[in-house]
Amino acid sequence: MAEPTTVTWGHTYRLHTFDVGLACCAVEFVAAAARRDEMDALGVRPFAAEPREADVMVVSGTVTDKLAPQVKRLYDGMPAGSFVVSFGSCANCGGPYWDSYSVTKGIDQLIPVDVYVPGCPPRPEALLGGLAALHDRVGT
Amino acid sequence: MTPDELLAVVGADAAVGAFGCLTLDVDPDRWLTTATTLRDAAGCDFFDWLSAYDDGAAGLAVVVRVWSVEGRHGVLVRTRVDRDSGSLPTLTPVWAGAAWHERETREMFGIEFTGHPDPRLLLLPDGFEGNPLRKEFVLASRVAKEWPGAKEPGESVAGRKRPLGVPAPNEWGDA
Repeated sequence: MAEPTTVTWGHTYRLHTFDVGLACCAVEFVAAAARRDEMDALGVRPFAAEPREADVMVVSGTVTDKLAPQVKRLYDGMPAGSFVVSFGSCANCGGPYWDSYSVTKGIDQLIPVDVYVPGCPPRPEALLGGLAALHDRVGT
Repeated sequence: MTPDELLAVVGADAAVGAFGCLTLDVDPDRWLTTATTLRDAAGCDFFDWLSAYDDGAAGLAVVVRVWSVEGRHGVLVRTRVDRDSGSLPTLTPVWAGAAWHERETREMFGIEFTGHPDPRLLLLPDGFEGNPLRKEFVLASRVAKEWPGAKEPGESVAGRKRPLGVPAPNEWGDA
């Protein structure tokens, strides 16, 4: 089989994503992922009902120390070898709350992250770029 | 019910109307009785919110706002408690809705609400040390790294005063 390209991603395999939406970035993610044609072209099927039905977990929004164990629990509920996309500055590093007493400074302290999507919030194109980068990881 | 009528019912020592809002300053020992009177005699059946603020040397001020749905009048009640051993009786027997607000105020300011039915931490993770909304609470991240932003164009990081509540580097540590 030929190497997957942008053209063939959509019918090579599908990535089912599970969105852990915790703050305003959750709305941005939903708005971006609701473009089904764009998502289909990337072979991405968003909005899995639960973690065990997903291949990719997208953490979008501010993770607090109080909620961090629940994010870890959702990750543990995914099939082995699943991928994690950190969407937005808060999930990446704490974002504007970098000095907060209660915000986790990046979900990579809890779970392994494959792709970081920067932005506060990231533009929809940034999500597409992040998913394309994820394909590079899946393909290797 | 006019502010004067409310005052007559509550019998408070001082009332300051700011922004058209009736404010009662009461002593901590009259906290619970004032609340009960407001509910029973002044018709304030709706608990709006309860919080606190750090008033420096004057202690910690606890504020509760209640509202009368029928009479359409609200009252702000304020008291001051000691910084180190501040405690107040819980208002949950008067308004059940006070429970979460008192839990938050307890963990953020270190004020005990005696008789609270469920005094667990509400927003902070278990094992958290300190009371984040007190002025003396140090944001450790800011000690290690200065806030990198700028409020005005051209405002440089170098030479800026330390943010409020952050001690000088040589004052950091045990007092």
